[in-house]
Amino acid sequence: MTAVEAGNDDIRRIEAEALPTRFARGWHCLGLSEKFKDGEPHTVNAFGQKLVVFQSGDGRINVLDAYCRHMGGDLSQGTIKGDEIACPFHDWRWGGDGRCKKIPYSRRVPLRARTAAWTTMDQDGLLFVWNDPEGNPPPPEVTIPRIEGATRDDWTDWVWTETIVNTNCREVVDNVVDMAHFFYVHYSFPTYFKNIFEGHVATQIMKGTGRQDTRPPAKDGEPRLLGNDSAASYHGPSFMIDDLTYHYDTMDINSVLINAHYPIDATSFVLHSGIIVQRTDKLSGPAADEMARKMSSFILKGFDQDVQIWKNKARIDNPLLCEEDGPVYQLRRWYEQFYVDVADVRPEMVERFEFELDTTRPVEAWKKEVEENLARKAAELSASTGRPA
Amino acid sequence: MTIRPDNRLLDAPMQPLTCRRCGAGVEVRKASWHQTSVQWNADAAGTCLERRTAGPGIFPGCAALRDSIVQAALDGEIAVPEES
Repeated sequence: MTAVEAGNDDIRRIEAEALPTRFARGWHCLGLSEKFKDGEPHTVNAFGQKLVVFQSGDGRINVLDAYCRHMGGDLSQGTIKGDEIACPFHDWRWGGDGRCKKIPYSRRVPLRARTAAWTTMDQDGLLFVWNDPEGNPPPPEVTIPRIEGATRDDWTDWVWTETIVNTNCREVVDNVVDMAHFFYVHYSFPTYFKNIFEGHVATQIMKGTGRQDTRPPAKDGEPRLLGNDSAASYHGPSFMIDDLTYHYDTMDINSVLINAHYPIDATSFVLHSGIIVQRTDKLSGPAADEMARKMSSFILKGFDQDVQIWKNKARIDNPLLCEEDGPVYQLRRWYEQFYVDVADVRPEMVERFEFELDTTRPVEAWKKEVEENLARKAAELSASTGRPA
Repeated sequence: MTIRPDNRLLDAPMQPLTCRRCGAGVEVRKASWHQTSVQWNADAAGTCLERRTAGPGIFPGCAALRDSIVQAALDGEIAVPEES
């Protein structure tokens, strides 16, 4: 039941400041690293720029500004030659460190022949790139944690998807706190929900049951879904690892889900989903791969539902929240740390904040305990004063 | 970007609470019997026994602090709005 509060008849204005002009400091995933190991340079539009991603002869994957500092040629249209990327315009050779190593037709490389290079990390089959508008190297304490199942034989390979979304990437981060939208958009019914923001990590813990009204009942002999346990954390501004377990009446299915993005520019981003599933006695061989594919298409369906909303909605800096909503403002306060210089990160952006919703104990039980407490206090009072309370 | 205040805190702000076990001082708010918000600061994180002895990874929360909050709510020290 909703009580409508009367009183203020002013129209609530939606407010939105200009979009940020810088891109978040942090590790961003560019997708499966395999994709970049085909001997060809790749074009990646990210952080408002065009980048070239190439694997040098030494096996390292490098990321440079795509435009050659000589005459502006597009290096991502060039050729990999040994450890360098060669410009298609005049064959200038650029190393992964951003320095020009050689100009085949010139005796010496001019001074200042240096372009922007991004620090990369190839881990668990994924390529990460460090973005920092201040140009500092990545501090070790904000690195992306290892995903154990990604390199183990008893887990499936990644099922990976990439989608371009035409809105600012704050919209996807907002989902971390949006409890209510799980019910309306994703047909899931959380019985326990918790957000924790601390340091550079934002976590969402959720236990839920599937909504009976939106899924067909299990047929005879098929495992029946009882619920799910999810612990998902953004490690920095853009890479979320979700340890997700589905509980069936006959088995548990363990999976790791990745929800990641990198900004193309202020009004578009690339949204990635990835999933691996653990193989078990009850879910072995192709059945596990099939499960991973199924879950991937289920996630994509969820993304599509989100995208439909994002495509049409307004950016809003002053959402009007009711008590049943999650901590949107506190999440954005956390998210802001990635958009200011390190020296300007304020304690409130990184100090621990918890938001918990636990519906497993019915309200009646709470109320009963309060009444008992009051009765006990009254009894104690009357015993100590010798008068009935 | 300006960091804006949560509109819900205007009507019912966070309230100070001291953990009954270790004395860590945090701010707490309950929107209902089911919902709890906790704002920690550096002092509280340094004082909390469970926080200090927790291993690496995500610290899900302090059980003693949780008990303290429940007790404070049951004792009427932390306000819990009536549900309609």
